[in-house]
Amino acid sequence: MDNFFEKLVELFTTPEYIDSLLHGFLLTLEISFFAVLLGFLLGLIIALTETGKSKWLAPLRFIFRIYVTVIRGTPMALQLFIMFFVIFAIRDFPQVITAILAFAFNSAAYSSEIIRGGILSVDAGQTEAGLALGLPYRTVFLKIVMPQAIKNIIPALGNEVITVIKETAIVSMVGMYDLNMAAKDIGSGQNMASYVVPMFTAALFYLAVVYLITFVIKRVEKRLRRSDVRA
Amino acid sequence: MSERKLEISVRGLRKAFGDNKVLNGINFDLFDGEKVVVLGPSGSGKSTFLRCINRLEEPSEGEIFFEDTLIDDKNIQEMRMEIGMVFQHFNLINNLTVMENLTLAPVKLHKFSADEAEAKARKLLKHIGLVGKADAFPASLSGGQKQRVAIIRALMMEPKVLLFDEPTSALDPESIGDVLSLIHEVVEGGMTTMIVTHEMNFAREIASRVVFIDKGRIIEEGTPSQFFTHPKTPRVKEFLEKVL
Repeated sequence: MDNFFEKLVELFTTPEYIDSLLHGFLLTLEISFFAVLLGFLLGLIIALTETGKSKWLAPLRFIFRIYVTVIRGTPMALQLFIMFFVIFAIRDFPQVITAILAFAFNSAAYSSEIIRGGILSVDAGQTEAGLALGLPYRTVFLKIVMPQAIKNIIPALGNEVITVIKETAIVSMVGMYDLNMAAKDIGSGQNMASYVVPMFTAALFYLAVVYLITFVIKRVEKRLRRSDVRA
Repeated sequence: MSERKLEISVRGLRKAFGDNKVLNGINFDLFDGEKVVVLGPSGSGKSTFLRCINRLEEPSEGEIFFEDTLIDDKNIQEMRMEIGMVFQHFNLINNLTVMENLTLAPVKLHKFSADEAEAKARKLLKHIGLVGKADAFPASLSGGQKQRVAIIRALMMEPKVLLFDEPTSALDPESIGDVLSLIHEVVEGGMTTMIVTHEMNFAREIASRVVFIDKGRIIEEGTPSQFFTHPKTPRVKEFLEKVL
């Protein structure tokens, strides 16, 4: 135990180590944030196309179906490798962007299913009521369907955000210096020569972010459920 | 007869869901001020018939006119503003308050200003004794309250025709009375209506004409007294023996 506390003190008093940890943490946050944002937007486009009624969207729907099937059917690590070593195997192309795109393309497939499910979960009677009053489909969708769909989408989307944050740890496999990689580096023989403290510290960092997001999602969810209260 | 204005005219209406032929050629006229009750066994196509009129179901074949206008994909929104509908499951918008349910369409569609719509909604809510629920969400209302709000929501648009699709089928016996008396009042006020219902006594009481549908066809129609006391077809006799 003495050794553990010594190492703990060493980690938090050595500027280079703290610096490494924070750099790694920032990269993890950067990739996660932009991947989630981009993934959500792309997922929204896919979901809207798939739930849309228009006939001329049919070819696009077909393409998106294949896209979602392929992404969900292959490992994220392999998708990351393909992005790094095949699609963006371009000299001097920024690694961060490649990583963001890899996770965004992956997340889009899952987000689209979440959003699609949320839209389809809204009772058809709600749409019919709006249409029967003479409202245009656009208004019905924006004022009636979407607000109700969001209640079902938010919790599942929160899970997806958490998944992405944790999954970005695999960028260490392509040599990027994220939080996971920082922990490994600090604990290696040239540095602290002990993995326990840096790795548990990194774990706490991940946990803190995930916990914060869970907390925010719960609050938002509660607010959205106002109209369900039978009082 | 001839000077009565034709509100809705249905010609050769057919509707199939895949191989399931639900409506097999319906011809029907609804004149101004008429209160038509549509009866028939379950699965006969009554609701589908009603839902084809405002195109919640796309007809497979046939034409439907509102006054002199053929209803098509382009004018359907305007047509729906003239043809109100009340649903079996009320379909109040869950994420909107009672007041918002009443004012959303009339304001969005520029039928009334926000203030006018709200004043009108309050008046109607007061009339059905639910003005205290104006800011409540539908989840806090009973079935009967929801359906009465749904009826005045349809009235907010001041439609020329009102369609009722089994308005009391999802209600408990106690609230049925409240809803029926509100419908009665609306109908007595001169609203041209079509009602699909299983409430035989109510049908007899308010109908100016009864239409009986079986297997997607109108097989008999007439005044309530004719229909209920001297049915012409064996199918209707059999039906009435079972339900009365």
